[in-house]
Amino acid sequence: MSEAITQPVPESPEEKTAGPWREAWNGFRKSKAALFGAAIVLMFVLLAFAGPLIAPEGINEQDMSKRLMAPSAEHWFGTDDFGRDILSRVIHGARISLWVGFFSVIGSVIVGSLLGIIAGYYGRWVDTIISRLFDIMLAFPSILLAIAIVSVLGPSLQNALIAIAVINIPNFGRLIRSRVLSIKQDEYITAAKGIGMKDSRILFSHILPNSMAPVIVQGTLAVATAILEAAALGFLGLGAQAPAPEWGKMLSDARNYLRDAPWTMIFPGLAIMLTVLGFNLMGDGLRDALDPKMKS
Amino acid sequence: MKKGKFWTLAVLLIVSMVLAACQSGNGEEAGTEGESAGESSGGSKTLVFGRGGDSVSLDPSRVTDGESMKVAANIFETLINFGEQDTTLQPGLAKEWEASEDGLTYTLQLEEGVKFHDGTDFNAEAVVKNFERWANGDADTFPYYQSMFGGFKGDEGHVIEAVTAEGDHTVVFTLKRPQAPFLKNLAMTMFGIGSPEAFEADAEGFGENPVGTGPFKFVEWKRNDSITIEKNEEYWKEGLPKLDRVVFRSIPDNGARLNALITGDIDLADGINPSDQATISDDDNLQLFERPSLNIGYLGMTVTREPFGDKLVRQAFNHAIDRQAIIDAFFEGAAEPAKNPIPPSIPAYNDSIEGYEYDPEKAKELLAEAGYPDGFEMELWAMPVPRPYMPDGAKVAEVIQKNLADIGVTAEIVSYEWATYLEKASKGEADAFLLGWTGDNGDADNFIYALLDGDNIGSNNYTYYDNAELHDILIEAQTEVDEDTRNELYAKAQEIIHEDAPWVPLAHSTPLLAGSADITGFKAHPTGSDILSNVDFN
Repeated sequence: MSEAITQPVPESPEEKTAGPWREAWNGFRKSKAALFGAAIVLMFVLLAFAGPLIAPEGINEQDMSKRLMAPSAEHWFGTDDFGRDILSRVIHGARISLWVGFFSVIGSVIVGSLLGIIAGYYGRWVDTIISRLFDIMLAFPSILLAIAIVSVLGPSLQNALIAIAVINIPNFGRLIRSRVLSIKQDEYITAAKGIGMKDSRILFSHILPNSMAPVIVQGTLAVATAILEAAALGFLGLGAQAPAPEWGKMLSDARNYLRDAPWTMIFPGLAIMLTVLGFNLMGDGLRDALDPKMKS
Repeated sequence: MKKGKFWTLAVLLIVSMVLAACQSGNGEEAGTEGESAGESSGGSKTLVFGRGGDSVSLDPSRVTDGESMKVAANIFETLINFGEQDTTLQPGLAKEWEASEDGLTYTLQLEEGVKFHDGTDFNAEAVVKNFERWANGDADTFPYYQSMFGGFKGDEGHVIEAVTAEGDHTVVFTLKRPQAPFLKNLAMTMFGIGSPEAFEADAEGFGENPVGTGPFKFVEWKRNDSITIEKNEEYWKEGLPKLDRVVFRSIPDNGARLNALITGDIDLADGINPSDQATISDDDNLQLFERPSLNIGYLGMTVTREPFGDKLVRQAFNHAIDRQAIIDAFFEGAAEPAKNPIPPSIPAYNDSIEGYEYDPEKAKELLAEAGYPDGFEMELWAMPVPRPYMPDGAKVAEVIQKNLADIGVTAEIVSYEWATYLEKASKGEADAFLLGWTGDNGDADNFIYALLDGDNIGSNNYTYYDNAELHDILIEAQTEVDEDTRNELYAKAQEIIHEDAPWVPLAHSTPLLAGSADITGFKAHPTGSDILSNVDFN
């Protein structure tokens, strides 16, 4: 019923003056919050790549004579219960968290898109099966499902990544499916069918590119959730294993010292908060810029 | 159609209302019980004792775990008691005893006028029936009887020839061969005397409905939550117990348990993190208790798994691990470094042994000599739960992981749920594992034989270490009655173990407990089985 309203106006390729992506960038630039978020994300991405060069120490340089030292000129973020430099560990941790965040989302986008396109385009019983499968997965609280998956596979960072990718599949799947349902009614698809184009070509050259905008928005927001979920699994001991400086695991290791050495908890916690905030702000900005409904 | 829906809804509504009513009824009951349990002053004196895990069974002869003993020690009494805070022999249900010259006959005089909780008389006949019950069992039903008395009726290794009643209040034990720690074994909580009437009527249910002569009677058991026992009004010791009720509550997380103590939900807490010592001493409402040390925490290496079959590798590990750093950081100094498998408080402790020094270079040399100059990869198992002999296994493992990395060995830390951990380790599935032991009778036999003899592979010897020479010495020591000769044998045994190094002995810890400041008369026992009859509130 609402399809008539949400049906997007396909950007006509003739309007070369301002392409859709250019237009989106202009929209994005206007939002200060989005730029701020992008800056945070950029900072953490840089940290992730340049971590080993910047970090003053390695990730596991234990020194029991220096354990639980408060932040000082020597150790800006203090030291943890093994006498390790927390600043160095937080910097190295950026790589782990972003790695899990990006790759789990890429995984769920690929699988989710594929299933979503198939369900949306072919409809009928294929759609029923795939959609019910998504419903079943969405019926579980996501973190519970992730815990179950990790318990089966065994606790490790890689398995945590797989679990997070799996639990996010239905979100992308349903998103794509609904886009496909509306796009396949469009005239240019009908035209493509009319001239005898193959299904695979229609799907991947026409429908998929035209459904990408919401996926990008959802993907950015999903990176934030994925980082949080990875931290939660790490906190529960189901994600990264010692001595990996995963932020959630650092929080969990620090919880005995909450009273006496709060810095062991504050800095990894801040790092999680900032990355998640960055991705959320950026995602919101992207949605405003890319969502056709928002265009005046 | 519509009408049908309406009726379905109406029926559902009624059913759910009825169910809700039932539920709230149950809830109220549970609520009042909970309240009276939490009350520690006023009319009835209830002590709530928070601990790390639930009991397995309340029939102590059927299990070996400390949490079962902790409760059973208050329901059952043994023929001979340990001292208040040591393992000296004190009168229990037997007021005096006498050993024959050759160490083959023990005559025990029993207390008179003692009754079981079910009203039946405690007498020599009851003691005989208890021992007959155990002797006619097997390794599955009474595992600890086997390790302490060498087997069951008909087995060659079985130490006890006969237990006979002479009159109502005299019991005579006749042994096949002398057993030095025999009286100490009798004093172990496992061999508390139960009511023959009760276990004869229901052998299987006895573990859930224990009947003994102890200061407290069993009331109820909510699995994984709490066990309640109440004052035995007929208790034969005048004026005891002082408490009306004791509730043992399981709170697995050390931090959560301490919080429950601070908020007053529980009155006494076991398993205090060493790092919380300061918090407790600073709090005027709390007091700290130290449990005298009778334990060992160690890193075991499964000798049937490569490369740990090689003595040089095991010695290298002993040099590689920085015990002192581990103790300073994760026992907060409430432990002393270990060099032998038995704690120094046991007379047989061999102090002339020089422990392996922390020396990574030496360790590397030994590894190279063993043919692993570049190290190897292995799994390092860490306990998932805090234990009295090691408050935080995961952290200790992380230090060891780093120590091993320094000598080129890559260790992956692995952990399983506690029961699975023990089961898998006992099957020899771990490369190297953290574990420990708390002595049950203060005898060297209860450590060295139980943990490192070939006889106990598959039960408590998780390393699969089996040395024939050591075995002969240990068996000889069991039958040797002369204390000095016996200590010499154990001194030799410790030398062999030191050389073969199946373990990296880490620490002898002093476990900590904390209670509210108004608790009096609580004395923590080294074996972990605290008898609470003297405990009171101010």
